[in-house]
Amino acid sequence: MKRIFAVAVILLCFAGVAFSAGGVKKKKIPEPEYGNLVIDANSLKAGVNPVMFEHWVHRKMFTCRVCHVDIGFAMKANEGGIRAADNMKGYYCGACHNGRSSFGGGVLFAACSDQFSKEDMKRCIRCHSVDKVAIEKESRHEQREKAFREFAGRMPKERGGNGINWEKAEDDGALKLIDYVEGVSTKRPPMSNQKDFTIGAKVDGVPEIIFSHKKHTVWNGCELCHPDIFVGVKKGTEKYSMIDLFAGKYCGACHGKVAFPQSDCRRCHTKQV
Amino acid sequence: MRLLLLVLLLLTVSPAGANFNLPPLPPRDEYGNILINRTSTENGQQPVSFSHWLHRTRYTCRVCHGELDFQMKVNTTEITERANRTGKFCGACHNGKIAFRHNGNCDKCHNGDIAYSTRRFEEFLLHDALPMTATGNGVDWDEGVRRKIIRPLSYLKKKSQDMNFDKELILEAEMTIIPPAVFPHKSHSAWLDCDNCHPDLFNIQKKGTHFSMAEILKGSYCGACHLSVAFPMDECRKCHPGMRE
Repeated sequence: MKRIFAVAVILLCFAGVAFSAGGVKKKKIPEPEYGNLVIDANSLKAGVNPVMFEHWVHRKMFTCRVCHVDIGFAMKANEGGIRAADNMKGYYCGACHNGRSSFGGGVLFAACSDQFSKEDMKRCIRCHSVDKVAIEKESRHEQREKAFREFAGRMPKERGGNGINWEKAEDDGALKLIDYVEGVSTKRPPMSNQKDFTIGAKVDGVPEIIFSHKKHTVWNGCELCHPDIFVGVKKGTEKYSMIDLFAGKYCGACHGKVAFPQSDCRRCHTKQV
Repeated sequence: MRLLLLVLLLLTVSPAGANFNLPPLPPRDEYGNILINRTSTENGQQPVSFSHWLHRTRYTCRVCHGELDFQMKVNTTEITERANRTGKFCGACHNGKIAFRHNGNCDKCHNGDIAYSTRRFEEFLLHDALPMTATGNGVDWDEGVRRKIIRPLSYLKKKSQDMNFDKELILEAEMTIIPPAVFPHKSHSAWLDCDNCHPDLFNIQKKGTHFSMAEILKGSYCGACHLSVAFPMDECRKCHPGMRE
């Protein structure tokens, strides 16, 4: 009995230590790795390595909307449950990575196949490049970083995230985003943008937010945010707190993961009152 | 068996007793000095001696710990010779333009001597006539900036956040006999950007998190800086101004 009690006490001590941890600075994600994610919905189960997906490679060509609305990628890694069979039929990655599509550049390699030669294996590891403990080969990692630096060098700079001011890059014409994929997207007449508006801050002394629909719709259209992330009811009825945002709700659905991080306060809180 | 239980009981109680077990302080000219040795000895080099005091006379914390991506724990930043030579980390300034360059200056950093900058410290104190304090570097850095005796820069290339947020927080102490701690945002934002502390160190939740001394002394919350670089916690009244001598 005493022994059980002692074990319980020891366990409680450790639990206390585990839960009391906090208030520690997290490691900052390096610029080339910001927005990267490992997709392992089915890979390991199917006997292949998980996929390393780089947002920056894709967002330099496409709007967020194309993949997250038209093609239907979920907003959280591994929530979509992408399968090789889906890709082969032209869903998910296979919508563009089909060995036929080209978007101004070369023909995009085909994603996934049930028949492949040894030569084809090279194609597999273009995406399935992460091993079981989520580590890539040093050489592959360096290759990625080099490609990123080359691209980022040509883009307007910004603090945090990828260190790239994506919004400015698009605005200046340094990026020409594709918002329509043949056979997947449907053309709709554009909607006029609501004017920029302010959102008050909760804490005195913190500048107000100026929210611009215009800047967001370029990338997202309407459907990416409304009605799931923002119900879109009358202005002021829903309250957003930074605590929610940091936990990944509302703006935090993108900002902090792919879009510029929320730690760059003055990027949104621009209007000093 | 009974003894074991007693020991366990003591262990669970001890965090409260360890509250004021402040780590021993180095001499004032070595406070905030670190030896960086992530891969140095592995590669046949002496560890790098780095003095925070020397750098903070010219640059605010945010320059290195924000813009230049230096992490907050020694040996966790992947500083390499190649990175430095391509203008990252130390190389952002140590390029022969802003500060001394790589070539021919190996032993200015790779000297393995934590007291390497001592002589310069004494010169600096004499020359700049900074306001003094009892602990840490012996320098009241905050007052030095306020009086504009030193003017550390707030950014190199990417403009800092510069938010005029000067709210003072009153934080109740865990023991009723201890007067509350007063936290001035202003003297922190003189050196730091919001994201140096939020939301990692302080999650901005108004209620619910208590920044206990036991946790702080383990390096959490205020302890991230105020154990090793910013003024140490030996002077209770700096934060708990209502405390008697």
